[in-house]
Amino acid sequence: MVIICPKCKVKLKVADEKIAPEGTRFKCPRCSTVLLVKRPTPKMKPLDLATVLVAHEKPSVMERIKSVLSTQGYRIIAVSDGITAMVNATKELPFLSLLSVSLPKIYGFEICRRLKSRPETKGMKVILIASIYDEKRYRREPESLHDADDYLEEHQIEEMLGQKINLLRGTPETARPSAPAPGTEGPRGQAPQPEDKARAEERPRPSLPEVKPSEAPEVEKARRLVRIILSDIYLYSKAKVDDSIRNGTFHKTFSSELREGLKLYENRISADIRSRGDFYNEAVNNFIEKRKKEIA
Amino acid sequence: MSFINYSSREINCKIVYYGPGLCGKTTNLQYIYRRTNPEQKGKLISLATETERTLFFDFLPLALGDIKGFRVRFHLYTVPGQVFYAASRKLILKGVDGVVFVADSQIERMEANMESFEDLKINLAEQGYELEKLPFTIQHNKRDLPNVAPVEQMNAILNPNGIQSFEAVAMTGQGVFETLKSVAKQVLFELKKHY
Repeated sequence: MVIICPKCKVKLKVADEKIAPEGTRFKCPRCSTVLLVKRPTPKMKPLDLATVLVAHEKPSVMERIKSVLSTQGYRIIAVSDGITAMVNATKELPFLSLLSVSLPKIYGFEICRRLKSRPETKGMKVILIASIYDEKRYRREPESLHDADDYLEEHQIEEMLGQKINLLRGTPETARPSAPAPGTEGPRGQAPQPEDKARAEERPRPSLPEVKPSEAPEVEKARRLVRIILSDIYLYSKAKVDDSIRNGTFHKTFSSELREGLKLYENRISADIRSRGDFYNEAVNNFIEKRKKEIA
Repeated sequence: MSFINYSSREINCKIVYYGPGLCGKTTNLQYIYRRTNPEQKGKLISLATETERTLFFDFLPLALGDIKGFRVRFHLYTVPGQVFYAASRKLILKGVDGVVFVADSQIERMEANMESFEDLKINLAEQGYELEKLPFTIQHNKRDLPNVAPVEQMNAILNPNGIQSFEAVAMTGQGVFETLKSVAKQVLFELKKHY
């Protein structure tokens, strides 16, 4: 690298390898001034808060993810293999990468590790998508998250993806009016660098997509409670449940459990959330339909 | 809230095993019961109705010594796990001195774990307790099954304060006494603070 002596203005060439990470002192050969030379800190581009990289080998899953993300207004980079995912992640710098664990060419968790170890992509959020559970059998089990910020199972995409993204963006609730303006805060909440600010002024950043979860967390909580009530009924009396569904007497057979469940539901879920939909009976009916299919 | 019996010179403490349905609370208690010296323990009582069951027994661990001449007797309780029996669970938590949360490690029971954990906090709060201030231990049960979630992930959800947690297979007894010892130790520590 070339440095200029601040005293005599002579240009000096210094080999990069001679400069220690904490800086090295040199004597100017002309004026004998001692100079502390440090390596220039690489200028890092900020992550693009409006873009999400989606890497999945299955087109059907890709479509499901796209439909969730597009409702939230994100620009989507869709790729189907590990190499393209890595190239796009480092080139386009999306703030979030959704990576299938078992991507062809480079595994998703491998990409995650690489991204988290590079300074320019260290702050990028990564959600691994693992298809470990498909109701009847278990597949790959993640022993660790490989530095990823979160992980998601395929069957949870519609329900959980929006919520998880909002959590990673630091907006666990629904859109907050006091949310920081676009470009003033990175995804990790670090203070913006002055240069970043200048750049943001000269080139308007794409506007932040409106943070709108697919469903309010309270609604998801209500649904979860009913799901558990039903799964408990099933867990404790599998044969009885299936028999009653076959005979069309589920409501009658489990009237006491369903009543207790409803009582708990009304006690735990606020009237405001309950007024948004009949989540209780909806879930009961879904459960019956699902069991009917399984039995058949 | 421990109860002191002056005539028998015993301090009675209540430990409740909490957790979602079929997570292994009863199995924990049954194992402890089987492995406890008959002279040290009371009867194993099952308060079972047609649909819900609660197990209870008390025992006097001799190895613990005494507190100012009083022996410590532990009363162990389980709660009905099915989420809809919230009223019974609330009742059983009355006067609790320590809680063991038995989590089911199977991936498909994670939601049930989360719900039960929230339920525990709500029920304790309704009785004026704070989970953070109670002797409390987490047990990750059923670690022998193939479809288990990683312990780190379970701790991230159920154990944000990073308290000591134990991996267990209650059926074989693995981790059962370790869990009990941990909560009992905390209960005794609290007792010693007060007496």
